[in-house]
Amino acid sequence: MHDIYQFVSGPLARLAFTVFVIGSLYRLVQMFVLVYRKEKFIFSFMSWKYSLRSIFHWIIPFAAVNMQQQPIMTLVTFTFHICLLVTPVFLLSHAVLWEERWNIRLWSLPDQLSDIMTLAVIGCCFFFWGRRIKLPEVRYLTFASDYALLGMVAAPFVTGLIAYHQWIDYPFFMILHILSGEILLMAVPFTRLSHMLFWPFTRAYMGSEFGNVRHARDW
Amino acid sequence: MKKQALSLLISVLASVCISAAACAQDNMTAVDNRVFEKPERTRAVFRHESHNERAKIDVCNECHHVMKDGKKLEHESSEDKRCSDCHGLADSGETPSLRKAFHLNCRGCHEKSGKGPVMCGECHPKEDR
Ligand code: HEC
Ligand code: HEC
Ligand code: HEC
Ligand code: HEC
Repeated sequence: MHDIYQFVSGPLARLAFTVFVIGSLYRLVQMFVLVYRKEKFIFSFMSWKYSLRSIFHWIIPFAAVNMQQQPIMTLVTFTFHICLLVTPVFLLSHAVLWEERWNIRLWSLPDQLSDIMTLAVIGCCFFFWGRRIKLPEVRYLTFASDYALLGMVAAPFVTGLIAYHQWIDYPFFMILHILSGEILLMAVPFTRLSHMLFWPFTRAYMGSEFGNVRHARDW
Repeated sequence: MKKQALSLLISVLASVCISAAACAQDNMTAVDNRVFEKPERTRAVFRHESHNERAKIDVCNECHHVMKDGKKLEHESSEDKRCSDCHGLADSGETPSLRKAFHLNCRGCHEKSGKGPVMCGECHPKEDR
């Protein structure tokens, strides 16, 4: 067990972060090159004002009409994304590791709050899963890969919860937790999770086109 | 004859005194964590005597060190002090914070030797023991 632990928490962890960072940069550069080659005219109507206006309206809960029409989905989506991003970075155990491995000092969440936020992520995953099964208009657009992705997102949170509370087989779930987190991290640049990188650009593009070309709002 | 008996008596008494003084770490089963403001983990498992016996550590200053200019003084030790006497809750210069000092010392050796616990929950079990 210790050999596996040393491997997943050492070399594999460094690999996962490297793939995440380099992969993300690669995808962003690739996007810019593609736009420059194929649709250079886009730059003619890109505008900071309309870009930022659109981004602003879509990161504030209920600031877009679409969100007002789907209040439950909006609530779940915001809860999900905040907990998904904040918990892993500011978890106490991770703060210990940030500091002791990489000398990065961050503040940390109380463990009880982290527990609640972890449960929130898992709950939201169930919600998204149910939604894909239940709603015909979503089911129609759902592929097997979407369920796999949902499972990949939930896995580090489920295993992390089990490992933290040491409910069953601590070393096994600890290793599974690290492994599933690393897989998720490496998947970000190369799957639909890449919307984590692209969303500001998508919004900027939409905002600029609606603002500058169609003279309309995109929220 | 009388002199010899007296010196025997003294040496027996002395060894009794020493072992009585050593009792403190004999009974130790976990590292005290009360020096941390608000401990967030259970006390780390550490049976002082049996640990050092099994791990075959016979020099006390492997842990109870005295540092000078970043180097350990080979012939000095500090078991009369607590780690927290020199290691504060935050880093100060080259001296690591108390938590870091424990983790570097304990987990560091376990990682290097490939023996002993390295995962958080192995040292900080769910139930305080
Ligand atoms: C593997 C590390 C390690 C080694 C080796 C070690 N100790 Fe300790 N010892 C500790 C720790 C950790 C503490 C707790 C210190 C604290 O709470 O600040 C401790 C505490 C003590 C205490 C105080 C006990 C108490 O309850 O207050 C004494 C006395 C002591 N050690 C003596 C020794 C002697 C003598 C040796 C050598 C034969 C030795 N130690 C070797 C780690 C070690
Ligand atoms: C007499 C004061 C003193 C005591 C007692 C003390 N330390 Fe230290 N320790 C220092 C100083 C000073 C340094 C920084 C040395 C330097 O300049 O790198 C240090 C550094 C360390 C380091 C990192 C450097 C290294 O290579 O070892 C660890 C780990 C550590 N201490 C663990 C402990 C533990 C565990 C205890 C208790 C068992 C302890 N110390 C007790 C003074 C002390
Ligand atoms: C110089 C090396 C070294 C240092 C320093 C050290 N250990 Fe260990 N530890 C070992 C070795 C080797 C073993 C495996 C012993 C065996 O084979 O059972 C071990 C085993 C253990 C075990 C499991 C066996 C047992 O005794 O219960 C625990 C718990 C443990 N160490 C805690 C600690 C803690 C806490 C500290 C710091 C205060 C510490 N160790 C410092 C070498 C070290
Ligand atoms: C080899 C044993 C060992 C391992 C492995 C270990 N610790 Fe510790 N830890 C200690 C010791 C010894 C202390 C100081 C005394 C105590 O808490 O009993 C400590 C103290 C702490 C503290 C500060 C005291 C508190 O309760 O708030 C935190 C936080 C902590 N550890 C978290 C972790 C995390 C997170 C991990 C895994 C990434 C971890 N530890 C792995 C031995 C260990």
